[in-house]
Amino acid sequence: MSLSFSLAHMMGGLMLLCAFALLSQRRLASMISLYQAEALTLTAAALWQGYAQHSPDLYATALITFAIKAVVLPIGLRKMVLRFNLIRAVETVMPIGLAMILGLALIGIAVLVVLPTTLNEVSLTREDLAISLSVVLLGFLLMAVRRNAVAQVIGFLSTENGLVLAAIGMPGMPFVAEFSVALLVLLAFLVVGVFLFRLREHFDTLDLAGIETIERRGR
Amino acid sequence: MSFPLVAALLPLLAAVPLGLLGTPRQGAVANLLLCGVTFLFTLGVFADPGAGLVHADRLGMLFGALTGFVGLTTACGNLNFVAASLEALSLRRWRLYHAMFQLVLGACLLGLYADNLGLLWVALEGATIAGTVAVSLTRSASALEAAWKYFILGGIGIALALFGTMLTYLAAQPALGPGLPAMSFSALAAQGAALNGTLLTLAFVFLLFGYGTKAALAPLHGWLPDAYAEGPAPVTTAMSGLTLNVALIALLRFRHVMQENAAAGGGAMQPGPFLLTLGLASLLLAAFSLPRRRDARRFFGFSSIEHSGLAAFAFGVGGAAAIFGGLLHMILHTLVKSALFQALIRAASWRGSAAPGHYAFAHLRGLGGEQKYLGWALAAAMFALTGMPPSGLFASEFIIVSQTIQHDPLLSLPLGLGMVLCAVPILRHLGPLLFAPSKPKPAQARVETGLVALHLLLAFGLAFVMPLLLFHLLSGVAAGLE
Repeated sequence: MSLSFSLAHMMGGLMLLCAFALLSQRRLASMISLYQAEALTLTAAALWQGYAQHSPDLYATALITFAIKAVVLPIGLRKMVLRFNLIRAVETVMPIGLAMILGLALIGIAVLVVLPTTLNEVSLTREDLAISLSVVLLGFLLMAVRRNAVAQVIGFLSTENGLVLAAIGMPGMPFVAEFSVALLVLLAFLVVGVFLFRLREHFDTLDLAGIETIERRGR
Repeated sequence: MSFPLVAALLPLLAAVPLGLLGTPRQGAVANLLLCGVTFLFTLGVFADPGAGLVHADRLGMLFGALTGFVGLTTACGNLNFVAASLEALSLRRWRLYHAMFQLVLGACLLGLYADNLGLLWVALEGATIAGTVAVSLTRSASALEAAWKYFILGGIGIALALFGTMLTYLAAQPALGPGLPAMSFSALAAQGAALNGTLLTLAFVFLLFGYGTKAALAPLHGWLPDAYAEGPAPVTTAMSGLTLNVALIALLRFRHVMQENAAAGGGAMQPGPFLLTLGLASLLLAAFSLPRRRDARRFFGFSSIEHSGLAAFAFGVGGAAAIFGGLLHMILHTLVKSALFQALIRAASWRGSAAPGHYAFAHLRGLGGEQKYLGWALAAAMFALTGMPPSGLFASEFIIVSQTIQHDPLLSLPLGLGMVLCAVPILRHLGPLLFAPSKPKPAQARVETGLVALHLLLAFGLAFVMPLLLFHLLSGVAAGLE
């Protein structure tokens, strides 16, 4: 095991830890901090992969990740939390313990699916892929177990982090993909920002459980 | 600059000035002109398919021209829609509305012409974002709920598709080398046998659920009926129907790569059963949901799920003839469905308002007696959707059913049952629409009536008097993708 392997694995592991810890947090402020830590780890991972693969493209990815995901988005999210006065515990759909057990099961599934199918690949790519699939699935789970719109957005952003982690681990993957992911996260965020604003006007709360009007109207 | 690149870039770039300048009426006229020019470019693609990243194959050419044509006719009908509902949106939102119209059109064309997995993904992501913005434009509580649903489900689908795209790259990279070739559809199809089969299977599962969300296959269809029902009608119905085609064609291309690999013993699983299951599930879901829908736009949203499922089913059956049937079905369904929505929007605004919530079937009763041409045009389009002769859809459904009997006889039973169950609710709505008593008013043929007739004639002509060019194109494509 060379240094390049262990460092890449460590950063992947740290990201997985952050994604898992997101599940356990009740408060939005600490979720945002964890997301920020995840994005910072992703920046470091991209820098390290750029150095190991001698690919300047990945340095650009690291820069975009740092600027947008580790700085701009967390600031925006914190402002949103302050503006909407959401500094309180978040309603969850199921008990935190149950969500974490489900998360463990998802990580198990990701490892069991990826490792046997990629026997011929370089082992660095294999394990990176298993970790990133885990982060993606944990992001989905987070979206499913939270009712609050901001918490769901954080789950979505964590999913995108997992995707970028997979992309930077692919040897020689063209830059197009990473660039578009980074750019589109910003776009998606803008769209979501508009929503949250309007949701607030209409429902006086960001709890999505109360807005299933279409269901009630009987279509 | 080649024709495909211009055809895709023109709407994408034109969205910016449309979003910033002009009154709603000016926007609608500019929108129409842009769609006309784009349609000409999509025709030009037949002469010069381009090269490199944006490079139209025969499948892309055909569906690109169809997309351009539907865009043009929708923009025609849009003139009246804008004039009739000027008050519904503010000036800024009307500008945004026309910008989204062009963005959806451009993203669809880019997705059809792209010869690159990444570019296809970017196009569908762009179409999702534009669609979300369009659905939320009316800002009512239910529109926001629909847009939120669209965004969350579409976002998850897009994320899954990106993961699948990366896995496909990983499967292709040892055989095709690092860099762009491993992401090109034509290179993947040519080297299908050399790819890593197990990875390709894993990638296909992610792509199926990712692009399957965009194609509204059950159980990932949840966003579609709400999105169809809540946004400003032309963009969220006629235009977003076009994105279903892009996603289905993406699935067809990936299916082909996997089939090649499986046939050559590369270790991939057969893609057929996956597509058959999702296709049949969509068909049956629509069959049992249609009778309970009272809102026409939601109703025809479920009908889109049905036809999307039918096309996926045909691709799952496999073989050149079934793929021919599936592609023909997609072309005809797009023509019929966009015509139907044109007539529906006109009918709703005739009855008072084209805003969401005014499309209940009860609201449209007796239209035939009141507005002869419009009522009968709407009824003809609805009848065409049932797939009974002389509707063009009969030809494609006949091909699909006969191929199913040949390849998987047992599956033809649920297929036939689903198709019949989907046709009955449509027929049930025809009587009240045409013959319920109403106050007589002078009838007048409008632009929409002509457009509906044009679409239906095309659908009839393409199915029963198929031009040789289309026949050769489709059979060539289907034989290539077998």
